[in-house]
Amino acid sequence: MTRHALGRLFWAGVLALGIATLVFAVLHLAPGDPAHLMTTPGMRAETVAALRARFGFDDPLPVQYGRWLAALARGDLGMSLQQGRPVAAVLGAALPHTLLLSGLALVVAFGGGIVLGVVQAVRHRGLLDRGLGALSLVFYSMPAFWLALMLVLVFAYGADVWGWPIRFPAAGARAVDADLMGPWERVLDRAWHLVLPVTALALVLMAGISRHVRASVLEVMHEDYVRTARAKGLPERAVVVRHALRNGLMPVITLAGLYLPLLFSGAVLVEEIFAYPGMGRVFVAAIGTRDFPVILASALLFSGLVLLGNLVADLLYAVADPRVRHGRSAP
Amino acid sequence: MTDGTMHRVRRVPVAPLLWCALALGACGDGDRTPSASDATGADAYAGFCDQVRPTVDAFIADADARSPAPADPRYGGTVVVGAIADILGGMGALHATDFVANQHHMFVNLMTLVRYDESYEPAPWLAESWEIAPDSSSITFHLRDDVYWHDGERTDAYDVAFTYARATDPETQYPNPAFFDYYGSGEGAVEIPDSFTVRIAMQPHAEPMDVWRTFAIMPEHLLGDVPGPDLRTHPFANECPVGNGPFVAVEHRPQESWTFRANPAFPAALGGRPFVDRYVYRVIPDQSTLLTELLTGAVHLYVQARADQASAIEQSEATRLRVAQGREFVFVGWNTRRPQLADPRVRRALAMAIDRAAIVENLTHGHARPAEASVPPFHFAFDETAGEAVRHDPDAARALLAAAGWEDRDGDGVRENAEGVPLALTLSYNAGNQTRADISQVMQAQLAEVGVALTPESVGYAALMPRVLDPESRDFDAFFLNWAHEFRVDDSDLFHSERLEGPYQFTGIQDPELDRLIDTLRVITDREQAAGTWRSYQRRIAELQPFMFLYFPERLSGLRAGLQGVEIDTRGEWVSIGRWYLEPEARQ
Repeated sequence: MTRHALGRLFWAGVLALGIATLVFAVLHLAPGDPAHLMTTPGMRAETVAALRARFGFDDPLPVQYGRWLAALARGDLGMSLQQGRPVAAVLGAALPHTLLLSGLALVVAFGGGIVLGVVQAVRHRGLLDRGLGALSLVFYSMPAFWLALMLVLVFAYGADVWGWPIRFPAAGARAVDADLMGPWERVLDRAWHLVLPVTALALVLMAGISRHVRASVLEVMHEDYVRTARAKGLPERAVVVRHALRNGLMPVITLAGLYLPLLFSGAVLVEEIFAYPGMGRVFVAAIGTRDFPVILASALLFSGLVLLGNLVADLLYAVADPRVRHGRSAP
Repeated sequence: MTDGTMHRVRRVPVAPLLWCALALGACGDGDRTPSASDATGADAYAGFCDQVRPTVDAFIADADARSPAPADPRYGGTVVVGAIADILGGMGALHATDFVANQHHMFVNLMTLVRYDESYEPAPWLAESWEIAPDSSSITFHLRDDVYWHDGERTDAYDVAFTYARATDPETQYPNPAFFDYYGSGEGAVEIPDSFTVRIAMQPHAEPMDVWRTFAIMPEHLLGDVPGPDLRTHPFANECPVGNGPFVAVEHRPQESWTFRANPAFPAALGGRPFVDRYVYRVIPDQSTLLTELLTGAVHLYVQARADQASAIEQSEATRLRVAQGREFVFVGWNTRRPQLADPRVRRALAMAIDRAAIVENLTHGHARPAEASVPPFHFAFDETAGEAVRHDPDAARALLAAAGWEDRDGDGVRENAEGVPLALTLSYNAGNQTRADISQVMQAQLAEVGVALTPESVGYAALMPRVLDPESRDFDAFFLNWAHEFRVDDSDLFHSERLEGPYQFTGIQDPELDRLIDTLRVITDREQAAGTWRSYQRRIAELQPFMFLYFPERLSGLRAGLQGVEIDTRGEWVSIGRWYLEPEARQ
């Protein structure tokens, strides 16, 4: 399995590079170049020409591509044209924010989704099942960015207007005076600022996950081994948790791999609305300003993370299901 | 199906992992030093911030101890300004082009030689006095001797000479080289008679002080050895700027915030230590969220609010709306190289067919002023009657088109010339700008009534700009844009025929009379003498209509009621930041 994982890892890297190459081609074929966006009314034509020459915008495309590949091989992602700082620094500052936001949202979504799905399955066709089902359909249909705006309206603006005792911040990753706080105060402050954006991302995902879990657990609840477990006199809780749940969660592992890219793409709009300084905002700003080095590095990073996420999902599936580990077919 | 194997459930310690992630996120403070080299050798400056920060901290701490905040209730608190974008270029005054960045150079972290007062007249700032030679061959500035860089070095004439040399060096790629068209460059252009006197060679020209209002001085002792091209990426700009203005840069979190603290060593004659202890510039890209932050008190000043948000700000008891005349105008540029647009009579007819006053009233929520020419209302020679001849008059527009040879010869509702070329135009505007999309549709309808077929076209900004700016491949009939002036108005780049190969002579207009007027206005130093020429210029522009001028938009700002001392006008939003203060109940 180790060889298999390493092989998958290698091909994931190759694929990520291929995706970034495609992005490189599309970027340079699309109209517009950064030089125009870096000009001002006062700049002379010769200054603009010097800018283009300095950043190599006039070089043939294969030369620019070769230069980018060579720099990449050295571990050099280049300089952000817009921010004037190394791309590694730009991404290095933003990525932890996105991983924190996405990671927390994933944990909440899967944790909550699994619990709700199991509850619905156990209370199949009861009032709780129908109620939670309707609620999950509502949230499943909701775009994350719209939910984000509603959360801001209710829990930030509304809470202020209606004088609620608890009001969440509408924007930012931390308070303006966070640098003056002690370590634990800062941790709590970060957590407080994450409540609304994590909720916006997680609720929509949780709805979908709960529906999958419900269906999957319902299916295994009718299996012979579950009937056997009941016949042995085990409490219902033990039957569900120790026997039905593990096999019922197999599709959820696949979902984790599928949902990972959704989290990054969904996070773009959520990050914009909450002014959260993550990769989504960096990417959107880079596209708008044709900041080629940042766009390329982000594409490489995003595709790498997505492929890695899928690989992890596949490996987890193998860990969870011995049949996959030993080469036998799964259901 | 399963194989019936029972497995122990593995528990994952989620909660501890969660707290670790939060702790790491809270403790991490982003990247403070570059970690990758590039063609410009950024590695060479990797230790710059580690060197300067302790010196700045020590100097400011010492100044704080010697001059603590007075016992005045106005002192204290953190003021928060919200805006939709980061300060592009940071405090790199030799490369930043953004108006917000420029204001931070002028009023917040750096200093210019002069500033404009409420009447837009030059007033002392870093220079306590100045004189222009009787023959206008030079300008001499006498600097204050009590202004210090935030690391304790005194600001002197060598800093001015250094900054000027860099700006006039083509290697630096200074974004506004036209500022110094009438000033000397190279060897001998700058004299330093003593440490606080600097003399710069110049030629007579109009409004000579305007460039010194915007030209922020940089520290020679920190950047003197840095080659011009490297200044763009030097950590000074975006990581650890060392200014000499009323606020000291504390921290920059890219795309998130800038934090500044009050400079206790700022000269009392220039206002002294600012009232607020700290000033935080927050980046909140979504304007709905930004409005929410203003209404809930998380932000004290929301700059450049949208016109449709004005009523929400006015209706709230906790906020006030400030309206200021901006320095830009919005226009439709015509490509006079196209046969349909070559005749000025056609361009005048197009302007007369459009009810611009109604557009301004209805589509800008009344927060704009109709424009007739490029000269803005704050200009001393602004003539609001310049465009009288092209006011809304569809009947006159039809007559003018007919006189120019455009008739509907085939009865399809669209006019053609004698060669059968239809008067059909495409109007391009940048995608995502709803106001321009709306105006385009209004224009389409109103021009259809006079027999002109206008097709609005939404184009991505990055794709639109090459079509408009590149002299080799100008490909447009008409486009929407806005243009911002300094206080000194010089339309050479826009309309002079000598700039036809330049990026900003979009329309290709060539008129000897216009050239003569522009050439004259560039060098008349006496305003009274220039007034008549300005009026002639505005009328000529209105007659030729290279642009259809639409409006001068107002700049809207939302303020919390507890924030006082804020002056906002054509000079900008930050002009009085040293005198802003928070009432106790407004402090966070």
